[in-house]
Amino acid sequence: MNANEELIQRLTLKRRRKLGGLSDQASKELELAVRKDPASFVDDDAERAFYIVTQALARHHASVADDDVRDDDSYAQERERRNQQLMDACNKALTLDVGCVDALLLRALLPDYSASHVFDHVNDLDKTLQDDDGPLTAGVSGDAWTNVFARPRLRVAAALARSCIDTARFGMAERRCRTLLEISPLDQMGARYTLALTLARMEDEDGFNRLDALFSHHGNAWFHLSRVILMYKLGRMSAARRALRGFDQLCLGGTYTLLQPFYVERYLPDRPDFKPGSFDESVYAVYEADPIIADMPEFVHWAVDQPGILASAHDFADRNGFDWHDEY
Amino acid sequence: MAYNPQHEDYQRLWLRYARTLEQSGTTDVAREFASFGRRFAQDRDSLPQTDADRSFHLVSEAAMLVDYKAPFADEPTYRSLRHRAQQYLDEALSLDPDDFDARRMSEALRLRSFEAYYQYLRDNADQARTSYQKALDEAARLSAQEDNPDRGHLSRDLALRPYLRWLASWSEQALICGRNREALRIAHQAFQLDPTDAADIRFTATYAAAKLEDVQELEDLAAHTFVPGCQRAADDPWTLLARAAMGFKTDDPQMASSALEQLLHLQPNAAEVLIRQSEFSDGYFSRLCVPPYSEDEVILAVSEGSVLFQEGRDDQGRGALSDWLAVTSAHRDPSAAMAVMRERMQGGGRSGTSGSGQGDAGLPGQGGAHPGEGGMPR
Repeated sequence: MNANEELIQRLTLKRRRKLGGLSDQASKELELAVRKDPASFVDDDAERAFYIVTQALARHHASVADDDVRDDDSYAQERERRNQQLMDACNKALTLDVGCVDALLLRALLPDYSASHVFDHVNDLDKTLQDDDGPLTAGVSGDAWTNVFARPRLRVAAALARSCIDTARFGMAERRCRTLLEISPLDQMGARYTLALTLARMEDEDGFNRLDALFSHHGNAWFHLSRVILMYKLGRMSAARRALRGFDQLCLGGTYTLLQPFYVERYLPDRPDFKPGSFDESVYAVYEADPIIADMPEFVHWAVDQPGILASAHDFADRNGFDWHDEY
Repeated sequence: MAYNPQHEDYQRLWLRYARTLEQSGTTDVAREFASFGRRFAQDRDSLPQTDADRSFHLVSEAAMLVDYKAPFADEPTYRSLRHRAQQYLDEALSLDPDDFDARRMSEALRLRSFEAYYQYLRDNADQARTSYQKALDEAARLSAQEDNPDRGHLSRDLALRPYLRWLASWSEQALICGRNREALRIAHQAFQLDPTDAADIRFTATYAAAKLEDVQELEDLAAHTFVPGCQRAADDPWTLLARAAMGFKTDDPQMASSALEQLLHLQPNAAEVLIRQSEFSDGYFSRLCVPPYSEDEVILAVSEGSVLFQEGRDDQGRGALSDWLAVTSAHRDPSAAMAVMRERMQGGGRSGTSGSGQGDAGLPGQGGAHPGEGGMPR
């Protein structure tokens, strides 16, 4: 979530509506002014609440970025501090605007809650929003994402889909993702990644192939990993081996993170940005697939046993100075 | 019903005895039959039998050791029982290399991973089927020589069982390995062979259907659509737990609660079992023999259901559905929750059974699962 950019767009749109009839040039100048000092353009409680959330998220993300240099104790302390700070900010935002969707979502997602708790709260939030505001629609542009005020609800839907995987509700995950793709075909939320994993878990080869074709076979770590899982589950082992080789060769550090999973905190509120083809992409894909991988008790051992996989993972760790914890 | 190895051993020898008596032209048939039970128990070698019968007897002995005794033994005894079972199975195979029960159990004891066992069952399924067809041909040949439909039926049934057990194990291993569609496909293969589903493979299938969230398949299984000869009502713990899972997964709390409520109503001790959720090894020979609607049956269904209940991301390592089942059962039956809490505070945990009518037999309690010594973590 690029919170600051969304804030600027929201504030610019609201001020433009208020002023009315701005020329293109004037609109651009307005946007520059908002970008320079967003706080001075906040003039209703909804935006005040959203502003508080964006500032709190920025502080939270800055703190997370420094985790690598913390030892265990200071990490635990800092984690507790920043989560509390984020919770406090959300509560404050909600005193200004009880309908601040991002604050409601973040409160449900805070990392110390169990997967069941998160599902219950995000699901309730989604239902309440449906009841109060009606179902999400693509809107006149044909893609809900283009309406910056609809994005918080898209985030709720995407978080719910991921939460469905975390609590083994795959039919619901599929329906949520399909709705998201329908109302936002541009799929800035990356619902297709969650859907790819879901279809692999449901052993739905036709569905997976259709999804892959829908996005012109522009595979990434989620799609490559999903194909390995799918072929493995269907017992097509030579195809699974080929897919694993593809995952290893095309996804940077993919097999390393499959064999040595990285600790990833629950997304707040959505999947962090990543560069296509980056190691981060592989880490997020494996993290999101973890409940599905854990349901196949021998999957990782099978992967280790495939020619070249262990060596490739070790090689990646050596080249990048990463630790190697578990021996196979 | 699951298969009782000792009873099956008895049935095999009884059938052979009856046929031999008839062929021998004995006049005092009633007295000869009356002596069968004593001779089976005390002088087994005096009864007519083939190497295949002797081999099955060794399988049954091995099954009693690994499925009904070893799980309750201390560690050294446990190892020694498994070792003895392996020796029985080796001897069984030296007598009858086509004994696919012995082959299967021997591999399950030897192999160290679910995947390896699953692959073994898959790769050798054709051989197991060929062997079953051979046994079936032999059963048909013998039945054709007599005018006794009951014996003919038993003869065919006995020929089929090893292959049904093979399919049951294969389906279960496929489920454990996360290959749910294959688990269902194998189950359907078994239903074609035995529309009464005497092996209760549909129980495994209900869990595979729940994992695939296939409501239609689950309800077809419950309606016995694929097993029209099955006599048991679909209120077994597997079906009820699969329904509860389906309700939970599809955000239908009413469906989940009413299925769980039905189970708690049918089996008074089910709440404790669901709070405890102990995991036990699967039987090496077959699913263990326990009475329908007993607490032991719920224990088995819950243990097999761990693949369904424990799926998902959970810091406590037991999964959202597992948590829901335990918490809901505790709310429904607070005294059961207290009993389990007391048990945990005393640092123990029942690994046994309320008594399954199997003598010193009962449910295996080593945690983890089969195959492999000591089990593999699920």
